[in-house]
Amino acid sequence: MENGIRVLLLTVALASLSGCASVRNWFHHDRETNDELAQAGDEGKRTDPSPDDDRAPRVVEPQVERRKVKVPKIHSSDVELGLDYGALSIEDFGTNPSYGATIAYHVTEDFFLQGEYGRSKGGRTSFETLSGNIQLLTPAERHFTYYDLSLGYNFLPGEAFLGHGIALSSAFYVLGGIGAVDFAGDDKFTVNFGAGYRVLPSDWLAVHITVQDRVFQSDVLGVTKLTNNIEMRIGTTVFF
Amino acid sequence: MRSFSVPAVLALLAMCLTPTVCGAREHLQVFVTASYLELHTGAGRGYPVFNVVPRDESVLVLFRRTDWFKVRTTRGVEGWASQRDMLKTVLADGTPFTFDLGDRSGYTAHNFEAGAFWGVWGGANYVSAYTSYSFNSQLAVEAALGQFLGKFTNGVTGDIGLAHVVMPEWRLSPFFTLGTGFVHLTPKATLVQPADRVEQTAYVGAGVRCYLTRRFFLRAEFKSHYIFTNFNQNERADEWKMGFAFFF
Repeated sequence: MENGIRVLLLTVALASLSGCASVRNWFHHDRETNDELAQAGDEGKRTDPSPDDDRAPRVVEPQVERRKVKVPKIHSSDVELGLDYGALSIEDFGTNPSYGATIAYHVTEDFFLQGEYGRSKGGRTSFETLSGNIQLLTPAERHFTYYDLSLGYNFLPGEAFLGHGIALSSAFYVLGGIGAVDFAGDDKFTVNFGAGYRVLPSDWLAVHITVQDRVFQSDVLGVTKLTNNIEMRIGTTVFF
Repeated sequence: MRSFSVPAVLALLAMCLTPTVCGAREHLQVFVTASYLELHTGAGRGYPVFNVVPRDESVLVLFRRTDWFKVRTTRGVEGWASQRDMLKTVLADGTPFTFDLGDRSGYTAHNFEAGAFWGVWGGANYVSAYTSYSFNSQLAVEAALGQFLGKFTNGVTGDIGLAHVVMPEWRLSPFFTLGTGFVHLTPKATLVQPADRVEQTAYVGAGVRCYLTRRFFLRAEFKSHYIFTNFNQNERADEWKMGFAFFF
């Protein structure tokens, strides 16, 4: 009898265990289960080493913005501008003071292009001096105005030594080009050539001594001839 | 008066221009990566080397003149370094120091160019200069000013127009021009003195340019000018010229 009761109680207990298992999700236990799963997943992620997480964990997030570096622009100093003063010998009309302005662009260390503009005045010819009051040209026609466009070539670069402690860089150069001259009431096409010496007391300042010949055809004295008009001038220029 | 005014103008010019050259500027610092950097006494290969900067030391780039850079070392020594040597320097972040080389690639694509010509305008000797601005490697707007000096007429011309380079990457590249301008005619007749006159012109032309070296190129061109006169017939003048030009 006792054995029968024991078997009955065991059977009820087993049945109730399986029943508990079958009613496990009846009271929204699935939400909790999902949360648990998600939590377990997160923990799994934390524990799984990934290649991106080799760095040490950041304690403080940096708030520094990358600085924008501005590269300074390099100034080019290839243009030379200046004034000059000298003496111009106008063929048949004597030698007179001349003055002008010069602008040059240094294309390479060897070559530069130069523009010149200048003025002078023609004197009296021998004929006018000997003949008394005869005037071949009016005062306005005696003005000698010229411009040139020339190509220059630097050669013989060197240094000029002033005493023991000062050395100034220098160079000789040759010039050649074309231009025009307004003299004796007419504009004439000119060809010019010459040479000069440049010395630089500082990086931005230069002193020039130039000798230049301007050749053009002239018929002022009644015969058309090729005239040579040599000018020697000293000038100061600044580089900028 | 003249002897006073010339030095005064010179001094004034120097005062005006000096700050542009010597003014305080922020200078670029570059580091030497070659064995050493040679410093010359002047901006040219003929000037002697007087100092060297060893590898990994820095220099400040003060300014540039043609293909040479004026630099200052950390010890305060100033000298000229060549463009070729400066190509072997780097900036503080390690990137190479780059700059406009003024070579063949610049000939193909540049912003400005200028030049001077010798030629013939309507049978008279012609002196001319021009400058141009390039929108791209093929199209540019250019302006020219010239003077012709003939037996019977002198004159001044001014042109502005467009130039189209057909093959800018070719060493010998043709181009076409189209534009308008003016001509100021001064007849040289002695018995009857005709008045000067200014006429509007239009031109069409073609030419060729040839790269020489560095920033230089030769340029030769022809322009056919149509002169719009008040007479029954318009006039026509041909312009042939050739000269040196450079880009920058």
